[in-house]
Amino acid sequence: MVRNRALSVGKIGLVLILLLVGLTAVGCLGIKTAPEGGSGATIADGTIFLSPVLEQAGGFGCSTPAVEGKLVAVNAENGVQRWEIPLGGSAPASGFGCAQAATPVAVYGSPVVVGELVYVAGYNGKIYALNADSGALRWVYPREGNLQPIVGGMVVALDRLYFGCSDGKVYALDAATGDMQWEFATEDKIWSTPAVDGGTLYVSSFDKKLYAISAVDGIQQWQFESEGAMASTPLVYNNMVYIGTIDRYFYAIRASDGTKQWEFQAEKWFWTRAVAFENTIYVGCFDNKVYALNALSGEKITEFDLESPIRSWPVLVEDRVIIATEAGKVYAIDTANNQIGLFADLAETIYAPLSLSEGVIYIYTQEQNLHALNAASGVRLWTQIVK
Amino acid sequence: MGIGDIWNLIAMQPVINTLIVLTHYLFNSFGLAIIALTLIVNGAMFPLTLKQIRASRAMQEMQPKIAELKKKYGKDKEKMAREQMRLYKESGISPAGCLLPLLIQMPIWIALFQSIMRVLAVIPENLTGLSQYLYSWPVVYSTLPLSSEFLWLDLATGDIFLALLVGGTMWVQQKMVMAPSVDPGQRTQSTLMLWMLPIMFAWLTLSFPSGLALFWVTSNIFRIGLQYFIGGWGGLVKSAPRRDTGRDKKYKQRIAEVEEAPLGGADVVPSSAQEEDLSYEESGDKRPDRGGGYPKSPRDTKPKSRRGGGRRRKRG
Repeated sequence: MVRNRALSVGKIGLVLILLLVGLTAVGCLGIKTAPEGGSGATIADGTIFLSPVLEQAGGFGCSTPAVEGKLVAVNAENGVQRWEIPLGGSAPASGFGCAQAATPVAVYGSPVVVGELVYVAGYNGKIYALNADSGALRWVYPREGNLQPIVGGMVVALDRLYFGCSDGKVYALDAATGDMQWEFATEDKIWSTPAVDGGTLYVSSFDKKLYAISAVDGIQQWQFESEGAMASTPLVYNNMVYIGTIDRYFYAIRASDGTKQWEFQAEKWFWTRAVAFENTIYVGCFDNKVYALNALSGEKITEFDLESPIRSWPVLVEDRVIIATEAGKVYAIDTANNQIGLFADLAETIYAPLSLSEGVIYIYTQEQNLHALNAASGVRLWTQIVK
Repeated sequence: MGIGDIWNLIAMQPVINTLIVLTHYLFNSFGLAIIALTLIVNGAMFPLTLKQIRASRAMQEMQPKIAELKKKYGKDKEKMAREQMRLYKESGISPAGCLLPLLIQMPIWIALFQSIMRVLAVIPENLTGLSQYLYSWPVVYSTLPLSSEFLWLDLATGDIFLALLVGGTMWVQQKMVMAPSVDPGQRTQSTLMLWMLPIMFAWLTLSFPSGLALFWVTSNIFRIGLQYFIGGWGGLVKSAPRRDTGRDKKYKQRIAEVEEAPLGGADVVPSSAQEEDLSYEESGDKRPDRGGGYPKSPRDTKPKSRRGGGRRRKRG
């Protein structure tokens, strides 16, 4: 009798465990709930700075974050690591489910190097300023506690460091000390990197608005409202601001007063920043296409179907636009005749912005590989694992 | 087209886009959209749910008879299984009646579950991944990204109050369908299920975004309402009489007929038996004795008494 009862209890326990594991595994399938990060590479004085994609620890079908993120410095000539500095973080709590159990320091925005300092913006809501030679921490903002997640990158101008935050605010810090100079509040999250031009900061927000703010004191100059949230970084070119939105439109806005000059509709939304060359705007879209648009009229010159969404920022190499798809194919568009050719096929997932320095293109993939390609030929110079 | 693509096409895309559109029309509140979609899905599955609840209740009604069979054939498992199946068959109850609707509902729940997780798009990877699921409706694009704020909740993170609510409503729901059992083993199992499942779900809820908990709570409340409509508070209030619908009465009548049937030697009841039973029920005629049914037990020779007293109490 007692044995039977024990067996029954055992059976129920087994059913419950199977139910929970099954629910968690099936339900979470393919859904990431922990930030992976993975920044673009920033090159200064022969050193590449980047923050690796976080390794995902095991879990019941859900991705769970690594304990901590880091900033890595790599020799630009051969990819050999010079140093790495952990950026902190707390140990993940145990448990089933898909919740973010720890505070991992995923980094999405590319590091910024100015003088002897390298700046990193963490998803944990902290800005780190480190010595570029040694990685020694100079200052951190905020000194205590955390802001909300920082997804975009930073920009430095007028001795100030500017960045947007998920709390909807734009912050201006003293680049040398990390002291806050001013802050500007929008009505929703900011996930993009600000653009600065001639003393004006252009910031896009999830509140569907693009703001022009004085870089000196944070006073708003104008705002432009679109139909959809903005998550991409604006491009300032020839006194115009170009930006794509989640409502599938790409806008040209006059930099002086925020007046819309034209708009162009794609099939899906825009995430990446555009590049411009001789009055042509090249912008990648989640509809797998790269559009070449007349910078003055918005008229579509041509489009290229790359069969995979484009998330990574392109680079301009002389008169060629180098652009990568999520699927890992890198293309070169000849701006002289708008002909496209395959530049390299990395067969890895590319989210991070492409970087260019001294004739070499650096691409960091979600598979934690850093590739160096000859910018003229696309020949792979070296590949190193950075994790 | 792989299985994943088919799943996305028939399950994920419709649910995700509906959630976003509902959010747009429900004051840009994702919380209200979750509640609305949960009610719509539950409403669409109403016939299946009803069938499942009725089948479960009918199974509960059978438990004394099953216990009796266990007592009788406990050592001969093959015989026990055969007799049990015959009991189910003769009373017109299919054990699959409880499981089949549940199995059909499972993919829908999983789609809802995954959609909520994706639409919340808490991290950049999820928001960008969402683009592949969207229809080309302008309203969808202008509504994104959704705010995860609802009442005091951040729908993207776990919430202790909602976790307790999930556990509580699940307990109530289970308690309502739970019939008292005389078998100690059965009673232990029931008690374990009654407490363990809500506790584990509450604990699980804490680890999930509370948007999902909102979906569970809404579902549970809907089912509690449905169960109340079908059979009152059930096991929740011991003395409360249960209000039976016509279908429930039919189930009970079948069970009673089986229990009252005289013993016989036929091991297998012809497949047409059930149909004939039904026709007799509908016409109101008495079912002719064919000599089938169960071996006579001393209990069968005595007049049958209803559970909970000799008379059926009137409601109200």
